[in-house]
Amino acid sequence: MMKIIGKSVQRVDASSKADGSIKYTDDLEFNGLHADVMRSSIAYGKILSIKYDANFDFSEFTIVDYKDIKGSNTNTILMDDQPFLVENIVRFIGEPIILLAHRSKEALLEVKKHISIEYKEYDALYTLQESQERKNIIFGEDNIYKSINTCKGKEPDFSTLNRLTRTYSTPHQEQLYLEPQSMIARYNDGEIKIIGSMQCPFYVESALEILTTKKIEIEQAPTGGAFGGKEDYPSLMAAFVYLLSEKSQEDVKLVYSRRDDIAYTTKRHPAQMQFSSYFDDAGKLYGLEIEIALDGGAYCTLTPVVQARTVLHIAGFYDCEYIKVTSNSYATNTPPNGAFRGFGAPQAIFAIERHIDDIAKKLSLSPIQVREINLPTEHSKSVTDAKIEEYKRVRAIFEKARIASNFDAKYIQKKSKSLTKSGIGMALFMHGGGFIGDGETVLASQVWLELYQDSRVEIKISSVEMGQGAMTVMPQIVADTLKIPIEFVSYHTPNTKEVANSGPTVSSRTVMIVGDLLRQAAKKLQSSLKNYSNISSYQNRVKVYLGEKPSKRFEAQYIKPKHLKWDEDKFYGNGYDGYSLACYVAEVDIDPVTYQVKVKEFYAYNDVGEVINPILAEGQVEGGVAQGIGYALYERIVYEQGRVKNSRLSDYIIPMAADLPKIEIGFLESDASAKGLGELPMDGPAAAIANAVSNALGVAIDSIPILPEDVEQLCR
Amino acid sequence: MQIKCTINAKEFSFDTEVTTRVLDIIRELGFTSVKEGCGEGECGACSLFFNGKLVNSCLLLAPQMQGAEIVTLEGMKEETKLLRENFEKSGAIQCGFCTSGFILRGQEYITHEHNKDAKAIGDALDGNLCRCTGYQKIIEAIQKSMK
Repeated sequence: MMKIIGKSVQRVDASSKADGSIKYTDDLEFNGLHADVMRSSIAYGKILSIKYDANFDFSEFTIVDYKDIKGSNTNTILMDDQPFLVENIVRFIGEPIILLAHRSKEALLEVKKHISIEYKEYDALYTLQESQERKNIIFGEDNIYKSINTCKGKEPDFSTLNRLTRTYSTPHQEQLYLEPQSMIARYNDGEIKIIGSMQCPFYVESALEILTTKKIEIEQAPTGGAFGGKEDYPSLMAAFVYLLSEKSQEDVKLVYSRRDDIAYTTKRHPAQMQFSSYFDDAGKLYGLEIEIALDGGAYCTLTPVVQARTVLHIAGFYDCEYIKVTSNSYATNTPPNGAFRGFGAPQAIFAIERHIDDIAKKLSLSPIQVREINLPTEHSKSVTDAKIEEYKRVRAIFEKARIASNFDAKYIQKKSKSLTKSGIGMALFMHGGGFIGDGETVLASQVWLELYQDSRVEIKISSVEMGQGAMTVMPQIVADTLKIPIEFVSYHTPNTKEVANSGPTVSSRTVMIVGDLLRQAAKKLQSSLKNYSNISSYQNRVKVYLGEKPSKRFEAQYIKPKHLKWDEDKFYGNGYDGYSLACYVAEVDIDPVTYQVKVKEFYAYNDVGEVINPILAEGQVEGGVAQGIGYALYERIVYEQGRVKNSRLSDYIIPMAADLPKIEIGFLESDASAKGLGELPMDGPAAAIANAVSNALGVAIDSIPILPEDVEQLCR
Repeated sequence: MQIKCTINAKEFSFDTEVTTRVLDIIRELGFTSVKEGCGEGECGACSLFFNGKLVNSCLLLAPQMQGAEIVTLEGMKEETKLLRENFEKSGAIQCGFCTSGFILRGQEYITHEHNKDAKAIGDALDGNLCRCTGYQKIIEAIQKSMK
């Protein structure tokens, strides 16, 4: 039998997507009410009154506010600070206050004009800096959602070492999945079922359980991109359609316009990261002191976990005896920030990888030399005092990218500030797969494999297909384990009443964690059939094994490997179950007239362990690099007094085909099992590009995006 | 107002408001390969052929449909067969939400242009946005489908 793992099996959903027949949420048969949301128009303040125009006929509208909530009005993610609907205090522009539904979309536009909300405004905090300065206290005692501090190793003798202090900052970034947030509530004789675009059906289930005190059936519809933007936000969407459906006793659909989606849903956390490093004349690092500040926005959402990931990636995988990190995440009166591919790591990698180049510049060394001298060894320990088990793989990927890109020959250090045409930059980095620390133990994910009379094996998990290819690679893993053709393996629609809770589809955990559980379940199935090995075909073995039973279920559940230890209080130990590694090189050209930076060549070498499906894996890298190029060069959300000024695709610019270089991709197949892939390629491009621009200009770039006006300023 | 037009070689006649977008009418009629990605002519997800020209249907209003000949991906199964197969095989599809727009644009390119150079194809895709693929495999699929 041919090997299935490592083969570019065609996506199972390819043809229905190519001919346009696949039905996303907004394409589904629908005969109900359309929904809309009345939002706050101020960033911070108290609602004084809500007035409904006495001369307007509201009778055809379904109107919902917080008083209609039968359970608790708290969208609990990590804290219970966020209401589904505002009761009294609004904390950002665009916060949901009233829900409206009507058969006609036009009527919804009209009705909003007849509802007026009066506020008493408070002094809002619009930026991270204002929150850090505590101009006003908007959360807790100090505006801080969470502090994570850790320190490992022995302080070096600072007096004998060079020191460099620099601060790096990264901006908001919009996920910009092409399919906007969409959700439907189906009403059937008092029962409501939720169908929509989402990454985590069981997150939505638990949010609605708080809202309603009942377990509601949640089903994922084909999802047109997500990138983290559909991790926590769909819980709000589901709550809104649920409440309107419950009140109207009709089907209800809510689909965001692109403008609402950009303006009011979660973004990548802006970060500010101050590095003080201590190193000898050869560039060998002995100490790193790092202070991190993240802008969490108006509610906590997933911020503490994003922050933890920033901390876990902030020192890269370099050999450094002493590392001290203090980090705080702050509240501001801007829309809550949330999950976005990379989840705190792209910020960290930007900072550490820029800093390595800054050290090189200070010592007039090549950045290759500084990376090389600090590569990890068998004795090296990470920021959380765990052995860097991957040290050999780190060295291998670095060498691969260095040689393949011909970096040493291409790198010329600029002695002074000069606008030359081109530059080259590198980023060496890792990405931890799965939940951090004990997160996977807490999740305790489960998978089910259902074996049927017709020999079909059905995967029943809550991990969703959102474009990344889960629906194809998971069957590959099962078919490979069972040594059966992939056509025998199917994928049950993720529905909370019908599948196992394999956890959320996030954190690059699907193949690494859930895929491994599927392999375990498949092995159980396989050993059950072993007793029938005298029967010739797989189909016949299944028939005899099942006998009269229509089907049989095989399960597996996550158990943390014994060698992994984690101390949450000290923030010490194995941050992740496993790491993927990468080394990226960017070559840029800068237009001397327009100051536009263009990526000319891009090399992306990855070690993700075993590659399940090469074409899909390349696609993950190409797409992730494209988003990383956008992060580095094009994408900027402009807030003015808490209001997003560019909530359209004509002014929030993502890369077009013509903006992207040919990306040279390689996978270094190590003997490691499959590691996380989805997020890795988002982490490195911004650093590699900023290093290349710094090289081209002879000026250190401390922040992104690098827009033409910034380059012009730097060249003055 | 009363509209009469042809969609995928079939006659349609219906009543609509003058301010309704062609995109909404087409989708209401069940041609859901046509998607709304941005609603302002930037992303190309709502592409369709309108009197032989590839346009963004979110920028057209109902009265413009009067007597028009409209073709969506649903009506181009035969013509796009090779290109669709190459999209499927090359990994040019991820989330799929932008795909129908890219298939139509790719097909238009193949029909009218001869330059197989990746840069030329990339430049020609300036009316279509994809957030998943990084475009490389879309360009490859179009190249493979050209003579």
